[in-house]
Amino acid sequence: MTEVQLDLTVNGRRHRLSVPAHYSLLDVLRDELELTGTKTNCLEAECGVCTVVLDGKSVASCAVLAAQCQGREVTTVEGLAEGAALHPLQEAFVEFGAVQCGYCIPGMIMTAKAFLDENPRPTREAVREAIAGTLCRCTGYQKIVDAIMAASQRLSQQGERA
Amino acid sequence: MNSPFRIIGKSFPRLDARGKVSGKAIYGTDFAMQGMLHGKLVHSPIASGEIISVDTSRAMAMPGVYEVVTAKDIPAQRYGSFVKDMEVFASGRVNFIGQPVAAVVARTAEEAEAAAKAVKVEYREQAAVFTTEDAVKADAPLVHPDWQEYKAVPTVKRQGNITNQARLVLGDVDKALKESYRVFTHRFVTNVVHPGYTEPRAAIAHWADGSQLHVWSNTQLPFEAQATLAEIFKITPSQVRVNVTVIGGGFGGKLRLGVEHYAAAAALKAGRPVKFVSSCEEEMTSALPRQPLTIDLTTGVTKDGKILAKAASILVDTGATSGSGVGVASSVMLMLAGPYKIPNLRLESRSVYTNKTPTGSFRAPAGPQGNFAVESQMDIIADALGIDPLEFRLRNIVREGDLAPNGQKLESVSLEECLLKAADAIGWKDRRPEPGRGKGIACAWWTTTSGSSGVYVKVGPDGQVFLNTGCAEIGTAALTGAAQVLAEALGIELGSIQIVSGDTASTPFDFGAQGSRTAFAVGNACIDAVGKLHQRMKEIAAKQFSAKAEEIEIDGGAAKFGDKLLPLKEIAAIAQTSQGGLIAHGTFIAPPTLHDKERTENMVITAINSPSFHAHAVDLSVDAETGEVKIHDYVVVQDVGRAINPTYIEGQIEGGVVQGIGQALSEEIVYENGIVRNAGLTDYKMPTAMDAPNIRSFIVESPSKVGPYGAKGVGEPPVIHPPATIANAIASAVSARVQTLPITAEKIVRTLTEVSETAK
Repeated sequence: MTEVQLDLTVNGRRHRLSVPAHYSLLDVLRDELELTGTKTNCLEAECGVCTVVLDGKSVASCAVLAAQCQGREVTTVEGLAEGAALHPLQEAFVEFGAVQCGYCIPGMIMTAKAFLDENPRPTREAVREAIAGTLCRCTGYQKIVDAIMAASQRLSQQGERA
Repeated sequence: MNSPFRIIGKSFPRLDARGKVSGKAIYGTDFAMQGMLHGKLVHSPIASGEIISVDTSRAMAMPGVYEVVTAKDIPAQRYGSFVKDMEVFASGRVNFIGQPVAAVVARTAEEAEAAAKAVKVEYREQAAVFTTEDAVKADAPLVHPDWQEYKAVPTVKRQGNITNQARLVLGDVDKALKESYRVFTHRFVTNVVHPGYTEPRAAIAHWADGSQLHVWSNTQLPFEAQATLAEIFKITPSQVRVNVTVIGGGFGGKLRLGVEHYAAAAALKAGRPVKFVSSCEEEMTSALPRQPLTIDLTTGVTKDGKILAKAASILVDTGATSGSGVGVASSVMLMLAGPYKIPNLRLESRSVYTNKTPTGSFRAPAGPQGNFAVESQMDIIADALGIDPLEFRLRNIVREGDLAPNGQKLESVSLEECLLKAADAIGWKDRRPEPGRGKGIACAWWTTTSGSSGVYVKVGPDGQVFLNTGCAEIGTAALTGAAQVLAEALGIELGSIQIVSGDTASTPFDFGAQGSRTAFAVGNACIDAVGKLHQRMKEIAAKQFSAKAEEIEIDGGAAKFGDKLLPLKEIAAIAQTSQGGLIAHGTFIAPPTLHDKERTENMVITAINSPSFHAHAVDLSVDAETGEVKIHDYVVVQDVGRAINPTYIEGQIEGGVVQGIGQALSEEIVYENGIVRNAGLTDYKMPTAMDAPNIRSFIVESPSKVGPYGAKGVGEPPVIHPPATIANAIASAVSARVQTLPITAEKIVRTLTEVSETAK
């Protein structure tokens, strides 16, 4: 099997790996690095549970070849909290009842992270559009939108204070 | 109003939230073991036929392959809920496309998948049957030619492809229809929909010493999985231990075995732990979707809008195995009679095999199908009689003390309140506010499933309390609800409780996370445990204070004697050093719901336990050119008995409605000669955040006598009404009455075209 040499940074930690050439970024994260916070389901970039942030943009990691990530920076849900302190998005998801089974939540949160970084004060409609690529079967999305809106306010206020 | 409760009725965050948002929760797909191999299934490419031979030699020679497992490797044993018509791997014949015939075990999932393609199976294809109408014909090919040899529960009446024929009868329908002012007959057809949980079914099995099977899986029912695996492998239940991982959604789709049995068979042969995870294609072709129903419904009414009689003929397409479809064929009759007072009933239902995907118990198993038929027809009749659909319902609904269609006496009936609140919230008086815009309403009742529950409640010397339950947390937060009941009753804070759940070896039995029963049943078991804990607390405190146990009072989380207090944690510390700790076994079983046995024939589900009542209303617009539906407002009024945690009740409502909107408008597993034409999420359209409307939830509290603090079941009802509510609103908006689900844009436009051509 052809292997590719890979040098990528995940959650601030640099990894040098040799992986099969057809591996997706999701394969690298879950199987090589054993970071199972990023979830797996449809493997056709329809459900969005595998969403991570790649150089600041949210991507479905099942549809990104590992080889395309050479020299790039990946953030997964495991890289969001600082120590024991949850990220404001994670806190808001807990607080607003946005989590049920939770399987889509890492993908939702990473989608929201990249989106809020670019759009700090979005409308509800814009949030709905931003997360439309990630399916949630439990919540009906309403409380997820509530949580993202609340997090955007808190993050903006933090930004203003900083 | 001041609440008499400290914990009940407050929207605490769920106890397992932090692990889920941080990516640290270990789901079934995440679980791994040292030495673990991976399995993949070989599926039948034909819908019906005999297996001539299975050649595994080429697959065995493929890289990484350890074993190929077939029916020959395990005991010949059929299993199933009502009729034992299922087998792990097809042995003699196959009866649907996608049926597992063999499994390959390899070092990696990828190698197993490649080798699965190399297993050569030779078939002799035979005639298949794909619709229930064809399957009930006298000369139809039999899906199970050996059906007479299968064991079945005694209630069912089988014949050929028919797995049960059940009836609900009352009065004299023929006479009542003759005396009716008008009689309406319509056919309603519903769709095959997938539960759509985001985590595929996953399991890891390991045979510890060749006779002890240990399984980790995302099952909703660890004790049923234990019993079924024991039956399959001809061992005793105690030789099987099932541990539930964190579950990425279930909605009933993970009630029955998913891939546990394949993992167990593979691990037995390989002598190592084996993991199976369903692929998306397998989910769409061989999981357990909702049964599609064909319902012929006849209703006779008086001139002033009183229902005199209902007759129905129902065909439940269960696919290649009967599964829970036998139950659906029974419970759909309770739905079809509706929450209405009807003096004459003759409902006849048959569950039927076809050569398609076996179906299962998707959330509110008969609810959306039956409700779509009965509530669509209610509007059709109201329009024909010139009576407002809300008013027509109010003239016929059940009220406190009435008998339900099965003869059970109804208590805590809140339906009128639900309907009126929903109508008020949606602005019912202005039902057609502008051209192309309309409002719809629908109502229903639903059960709080019975079954027994046991909990161990254990108090640590630090005052931390373990709630140890055999029930799994499938995502609803119902176990957080049960913990709130425990915290309230024991007089402690919710944050002092840790939940341990879903281990058949160490947690007490529970009938499981199904049928809207978790918070209800586990909560009640917690209350029972608290009674026992309080007694122990009094005994320990009495000793401490040199008093009698009956002189001790329980105040909050402490024992009290005069002005002396002994806090729970001190009692637990004393118990730990003197009597093996402070622990109680709480149990609960709902009292049986009595019904009139004269009315029910061969029904496997005969009653609606602690019924809840609810109404939905929607305001939407339809683009007559494109058929596009735009929902402006969606209102749910649901009686939950007692709202234990309002936020997660809203969560059930919002999620259930969106799932129901999927069934109403966009979702369908499409078959062509038994082949699934849309076996992926690109073509199977579940609602996204852009499709989901804003939903306004109104919670009604009409307490149940049985539920903890009055609570009734919450989880299933929200998915029941959307198809009927939306169908009624579409008919109101553009006069297009679509009687088959899903109501796609194409169907709306086609119906509008037919209507306008008829008018010409």
